[in-house]
Formats: sequence, structure tokens, C-alpha cells
Amino acid sequence: MRLQRAIGNTSFWVFGGGLAIMFLVPLIWTAVASVSPHGATAQQDGYGFNNYRTLTEYDAGLLTYLWNSAYVSILTVVFTLGLSLLGGYAFARFRFPGRDALFLLIIAILMVPYATLLVPLWVLLGELGLRNSLFGLALVLTLYQLPFSMFMMRISFEAVPREIEESALVDGCGTFGVLRRVLVFAVWPGMITVGLFAFLHAWNDFIAPLFMINDSSRYPLSLAIATLRQQTMGAVDFGATQAGVVIMALPCLLLFVLLQRHYVRGFMSGALKG
Amino acid sequence: MRRSTRTRATTAVTAAVLALVMSACGGDDDTGTTGGDGDTSASLAEGVDDGSTITMWTRAATEAQSQRLVDAYNASHENQVELTVIPTDDYLPRVGTAAGAGELPDVLSLDVVFVPQFTTAGAYLDITERIDALPFADDLAQSHIEVGTLDGAKHVVPHTMDLSVLFYNKNLYEQAGLDPEAPPTTLQEFAEHARAVDALGGDVSGTFFGGNCGGCYVFTWWPSIWAAGADVMNEDGTESFLAEPEAQAVYDVWKGLVEDDIVAPGTQDEAGPTWTGVFPEGNIGVMPMPSTTLGLMPDTFETGVAPIPGVDGGESTFVGGDAIGISSNSEIPDAAWNFIAWTLGDEAQVEVVAQNRDVVARTDLASNEYSDQDPRLVTINEVAGVGRTPYSMRFGETFNDPQGPWLPLVRNYVFGDGSTLEQDNEAVDASLQS
Amino acid sequence: MYAAPAGVFVLLLFVVPLLLVGQMSASEWPLLQGSRGINLPDNYAGIADDRLFWPAVGFTLKYTVIVVVVLLVLAMGMALLVQERRRGVGFLRTAYFLPVSLGLASASLLFWGFYSPQIGPIDPILEWLGITDEPIRWIGTPNMALFSSIVLVVWKFAGFFMLILMVGLQSIPNEVYEAARVDGASKVQSFFRITLPLLRPSIALCLIISITGSLLAFDQFFILTNGGPDNSTTTVVMMIYREAFRRFDLGSAAALSVVVLLVLLVINIAQFRYLRRGADD
Repeated sequence: MRLQRAIGNTSFWVFGGGLAIMFLVPLIWTAVASVSPHGATAQQDGYGFNNYRTLTEYDAGLLTYLWNSAYVSILTVVFTLGLSLLGGYAFARFRFPGRDALFLLIIAILMVPYATLLVPLWVLLGELGLRNSLFGLALVLTLYQLPFSMFMMRISFEAVPREIEESALVDGCGTFGVLRRVLVFAVWPGMITVGLFAFLHAWNDFIAPLFMINDSSRYPLSLAIATLRQQTMGAVDFGATQAGVVIMALPCLLLFVLLQRHYVRGFMSGALKG
Repeated sequence: MRRSTRTRATTAVTAAVLALVMSACGGDDDTGTTGGDGDTSASLAEGVDDGSTITMWTRAATEAQSQRLVDAYNASHENQVELTVIPTDDYLPRVGTAAGAGELPDVLSLDVVFVPQFTTAGAYLDITERIDALPFADDLAQSHIEVGTLDGAKHVVPHTMDLSVLFYNKNLYEQAGLDPEAPPTTLQEFAEHARAVDALGGDVSGTFFGGNCGGCYVFTWWPSIWAAGADVMNEDGTESFLAEPEAQAVYDVWKGLVEDDIVAPGTQDEAGPTWTGVFPEGNIGVMPMPSTTLGLMPDTFETGVAPIPGVDGGESTFVGGDAIGISSNSEIPDAAWNFIAWTLGDEAQVEVVAQNRDVVARTDLASNEYSDQDPRLVTINEVAGVGRTPYSMRFGETFNDPQGPWLPLVRNYVFGDGSTLEQDNEAVDASLQS
Repeated sequence: MYAAPAGVFVLLLFVVPLLLVGQMSASEWPLLQGSRGINLPDNYAGIADDRLFWPAVGFTLKYTVIVVVVLLVLAMGMALLVQERRRGVGFLRTAYFLPVSLGLASASLLFWGFYSPQIGPIDPILEWLGITDEPIRWIGTPNMALFSSIVLVVWKFAGFFMLILMVGLQSIPNEVYEAARVDGASKVQSFFRITLPLLRPSIALCLIISITGSLLAFDQFFILTNGGPDNSTTTVVMMIYREAFRRFDLGSAAALSVVVLLVLLVINIAQFRYLRRGADD
């Protein structure tokens, strides 16, 4: 029995650990590459942060771009959570005319290539006066986040045993009261997942801002870095590219590590499993 | 309650659809014609400087050049130019969408090979009279202007000139026993030099090219075809001559270098993004490069510059870079022209363009105080006069696009056995005529 | 009506643009000039004539099958691995998930450098070990280009699917497993008889996202392989991109998009029906 457990433990660590190393290697490499010396980059001799200096000094300045990105991302998270919390509740708990059609329609958003929908969206936002605004950009980003979020929240709500709300309903709560006082806490892990992905998507996407934003000073970081990377005629700067990857990734990695505690708490607390 | 909400939503949606359709259809109306009525020729040439805000778009590849011109202009004028820089790979989607909806900025700079499509679509104003009114009109480099000419009407002027020229590493030349002051004058000689340098061994290779990059082949190999007095396409850009003997002779020289492994590792797979980054590493003997990268060469070795020769002599260059014009959506064409005309004037060309070692857009300024300090710049400025910019309505999708038919043609020839040349060339023809 | 906000949102930002796509697909619509009037069915009829079309369809299907299988099997294994309560599980979970936090474009750029002969780390290591002295052509041959792209996609997305499956696993009540254990079911048995059926909604989500995402693959190939070498990794969406933004023909691009959308709808409705059977009871 003990031997068996030892073997189990060893294989767990060999498989799990080996896999973890394979997942980490590219990330570690890019961090190292971004400070390594290389011809035709800002970092010519020895290790150092010259590639990052190129980035921070670019055009409107790193802080402006960071702010734009943060603003758009947070707005996207708020929109996505709002729509998918209410929508997921509706899809999981209520029968209403057009339910399946609407759900399928939302999933169908995934099925239209980004490149196709952007031109009509661009025209539409122009009509609504939302082009070249970070608010309009957040709307577009929310749209593409909706299928995943809606599905995720629907699953989350469906996983909650009905008895919980029934007792609350008996206690005199309306359906909204149940959602606000009881269910929100039960679908917490799903909400964090949805919010996190909305953030990651909004933070990283540069195709939507490419179309929607005209002013360089309103560029989010992703677009600014895409611009910076292709500055020299017909050539891409390796150093600036990898430094850009790192700068883009850092806030996301940080966010994930910070949120992980919540996941663990959410997952591990047996109360949620009903 | 629910019904009225739904009705209202339906109405709003219907209105939005209608608006969409109408606005999307409104893109092709022709706004503005040449100049203003009753303008004197002075204001035709200079435009107006009345404190307007001029919007301008450029791709990231030429940002540095554009930004310098914009900064110098803004510092000395009432008008102010607001420059928006767009990632190079995504420039066409962005600009194309804006053109279709009639929402281009006042001033639009564009990779010159795409200019014919935009002029034909009516994206640029006819500026024939304005150009002709310039005191130095006859001295402007003509290749960009010609590509932007439609039915005799001129639409663009050169903005950033980017020429293909040979760069060679003088240090490696010396080590290989070659004369560093005698660059190749024929393509055959170029191949000999490359072989001599390659014989040094180690990390050193004779030459390099973007072997999986249609635009790179066009930019670096076509000049050798032109140098032999031949053409790559007919005048209308609808028929390819790229399977003709003159073209094959050029491919053959390069194919020989590939077969003998004189090219640097990674040549066959280089898709374009890094093709100019290999020479500055200092391990390449001689290769065609964009003139705009001269200022970026490291000082760890000495870089020589020479025109791209034909197989048996002659010289030519691909005059690439960005052309610039006033968009047909501009409501302030006179102010926009004030900026454009200024960028071509003596001050901007010498103190901004030439000072930064870029190629001047005027032949009369080919030799100036800055080029006098660096004879390599004179070489580049002079070869501009014999260079060409090819014209075709289908240029990008045929030659630049990795899914276009040109890339298979040249790759099959150089890396394969070349047996499909005729067939591949038919695909190029089909694409040019589509 | 809790679904109303989402409904209005989708109507305005999705259905309306989609109608315009439909109109485009039925019209001669150059990107640079706008609509030139209806030309039905030219845009649709022209699709199959394109020399790129059938190879692109073939490649896209091949890529999708490989990616979906590799991705889901790996993600399921990872999810089972990290849902156990053990010391160090947090570290593994973080390691697997970190690549997800990169954007696909960022990840593609990272691997583009990783595979590049100029700065890639693998060739120097192999050379140092004396295994090869020729650089590996990571994206130089059709098979290697496919392989390299799959590595990138699996690296980037495995953690994402792991997380979805993990959320699903956590929502299966412990009592079910305990009951099974009391009945003498082995771990393997309870995985196939309990876990998999109860995971249906999560698996459905994974399948829908991974199949749809793979069939619409674009960024990774656009950045990493450019559809090459010799068009061997050209996907259907790269064709759409080429029609719209290289050939400036929005009509053809829209027609191709509509066809793709219809195919995906059929696939997904079928999946949906099959996998949600039982979930709604």
C-alpha cells in the first residue's frame, strides 16, 4: 500500500512536473531573450533593459497605453459579467420563448470570423457615434466574450442545486433577491473565470482597437506594441517583440496568481458542491 | 410593457440597418476636384496655412521618416498635422475600410505599390495642377508620381523613398581577398564575390535573401531584370514577363548560389519580417538591402553600397517606399497640400530627409551638404534616377501576398527543379487580369 | 426577463452586422468603393473556383481534428491531475495556466521568436549537445509547420480547457464518488461511468470552443507561418482575410464567411443536441 502510494506520488511528479516545465520553458525563454544582447535590437552589448526603454519611451508613453488598456479591460469585464450573470441565470432557470434560439445566436458569435464582422461593426459603431472611443471598443470586445461567458454562467447556475433557491424563495425572496443574496455566492468561481477571461481577452486583443481607434493617444498597449514592433522598414525588432510579449503578459500573470486564491477557496469549500 | 419594449427595439434596429446600408453605400461619391476656383498659382503651389488641423495616417514602417517631417512642419506652421501610426501588417485592412466608408484622413501615405488601386477607387484627389505649380515640379522623382497617374491625372507625390541597393561588408571583403572599394558591377560578379566570402567558412555566408517572401524577391531581384533592359510586366500591368529568358537568367544566378549553399541558413524559410536583420549581424558578404536601413547599420564593420547590377552589367533599383496624397474625403485640401508641398521643399528635403540619411525625393538635391559627407548616399540618390516602380492594379495580391501566385513561381524555380515555370507564370497572368 | 439585456446587445451588435454581411455576400462590394449592387450568386459561385479553396478546406479539417483531440485529452489529464488535493498542485495549476494569460497574437510572436533561426534557443542547445549541426526548419516544411503550430496552440490553450473541465469536475458532488466506491467501482470505472457523463456540459463547452476555434484558425498561422511554406498551412479564414484585405473584395469574403458560418452552425447544433441530451431533464 505504501509502495503503491510512493509510485503514485512519483509518477504524479514526473508527469505533472515534466509537463509544467514544458509549459514554463517558452515563458522563461522570452523573459531571458528580452534582456539578452542581440544585433539589430536596442540591446547591443551585454544583458540589460534597453528593449524595455524603447517601449517606455514610445510615442505617447507607456503609462498612457497602460491606462487605456486597463480602462478598456475593466469596462469589458463589467459589461461581460453583467450580461452573462443575468443571462446565465435566465438560461439555467427559466423557460421563455426563444430561449434556445437566443442561446444558439449567442454561441453563433463564435462562428463568424473576426475579420468578417469587423467591417460591419466598424460602420455600425460609426453610426452610433461610438467609434474612436474606448467605450465602443469595450462593447465590441464584450461581444466576442459573450458566447464563452454565457455558456460558462449557464453551466455554473445549472450546477447549483435547486433546493438552495427554493428555500430562499419560500423565505419570501423574489427571483432577483435569490440571485443577489444566494446564487451570486454559489456561482462565484464561474464569475471569476468569466471575468478573468474577459480581462485577458480585452487586454490582449489588438485587432478590434486597430479598427475602432483612430487617435494614437487612445491606443491600448497591445496596439501600441504591435505598432512599435514593425517600425523599421520591412523588419521586425526581435528585442522589442519579446519585451512587448513580456510587458503584455506581466499584468495577466499577476492577475491570475492573485485570483488563484479565490479559485482555490471557491473550489475547495465543500459548501459550494451542495 | 414587454411588447412596447420589443417594438421600440425593433424600430431602433431597423433604423440602424437602414443607416448602415446607406452609409456603406455612400463611400464612392466624389468629393472635391482639383484646387479651388480662381486660385492664383502661388496658392495652388503652396496651399494655405490658416491654422487647420490636418489628419494623416502612415504605416509603422515609415513612422520615423513621417514623424520627423511632421514635427518640423508643426514647429514652423499655423497648421498642425496629427499623425496616426498603424501597424504595418494591418495597414491595408484599416485604410481600405476607411476608404470604403469615405472616412479617410486628410493626408494619406501609402506603400507605393498599392497606390493604383486606391487612385482607381477614387480615394485620392486629383492634384495635377498643384504638382505642376510647384517651382521644382520637373525635379521630383517621377516613379512614384507615374504610378499614381490615372488617365493623365496625378494623385500622389513621393513621401518616403526606399530603394533596393547592394550592401556589402567591407571587412569580410578584405578578409576574403576582395577589393573593398570594388563592389560587383554584374550579377555574375556579385555571385563570385559571394562565393569568395562564403569560402571564409565559420558563421560567415556569402549572401542572404527573403526566400519565402514575395515582396522581398520583387524588391531585390527585379532590378537585375530591369538592368538588362527587360521588363517584368507589360505597361498596363496585366501580363507577366517573369518567365522570359532575361528573368530566368537572374533566377539562375541565385539558384546557383542556393545549390552551392552560399546563402545563409534560414534563407529558404525567411518570410520577410527579419530579412533585413541578418546583414547587420556582420556575417553576410553581400546582399541587396533597402536603402532606408543604411542608418541602422552597426559600426562594428564597414558597410559598402553599390547599385544592383544586371546579369551582364547595367544597374537599376526598385523605387519603393511610401507615396502621399490628399484623400478625397478631406474637407481642407488646401491646408493638406500646404503640408505636402512643404515636405518636398528644399528645407524639408535637405534639413530633415537628407540629414537623416534618407533618400531625397528630388533629383536636383541628389547631391547636398549631407550626402557630400557620405558618398554612399550619392550612390543611392543617383540610382534613384534609373530606378522603377512597377505598375499593376493587382500588384499586392499577386506579388506581395504569401498566398499570391508569384511566390510559388520563384520558389519552384530556385528551390525546386523549375519545371513548372510556364504553368506558374500562367497563374501570375490570371491573377494580374482578375 | 433576465436575458433581455443580452438579447438587445446581441441584436444590435451581432445580428445587425450579420445582416450587413449577408447583404455584402450578395453584392459586388469592393472594400475601397462600397456596394456596387446585387450580383447574386456570383460571390458564392466563385468560391469553389479559387485555386486555394479545396487545399485550405482540407488543411483546416486536418488541423482541427488533430488539435481538438490532442488538446482535450491533454486538458482532461491535466484537470484530473490538478483537482486532487495534494501539496504542489497549486504550482502545477499555475504553470499550466500561465500560457493562457497571453493573447494568441502574443503567444504566436513568442513562438515565432522561439522557432527563429536567429534567436531561437533550441538549435544552439541541440548543437551544443552535438545532436545536430543543421538548424531545425521549424516552419520550413509543411509537416513541421503544422507540428510547430499545433505545439503553439496546445501550449496556449491546454490550460484554458483544463480550467473549464476543472470547474466541471468540482461541481460533481463527492457523494456520487463515495457511493460508487462503496459499490466497489474502480477509479477507472468511476471515471468512465460517472465523471465523463456528468462532465457533459463542460465537455460540450470545450468541444464547441475548440472545434469552432480551430476551424476558424487565423492568428497563429498569420503570424507564425504566413500560410506557408507553399500555401501548405493556408486556412479558410486566411482565404477570407485575403479576399477582404488583399484583394479588397468584401463580397467574396462575406460569401465565404456565410458558408463557414452555416457549416459551423450545423456542426454545433449537432454537437449541442448530442451532448446536452440529459442535461436539460
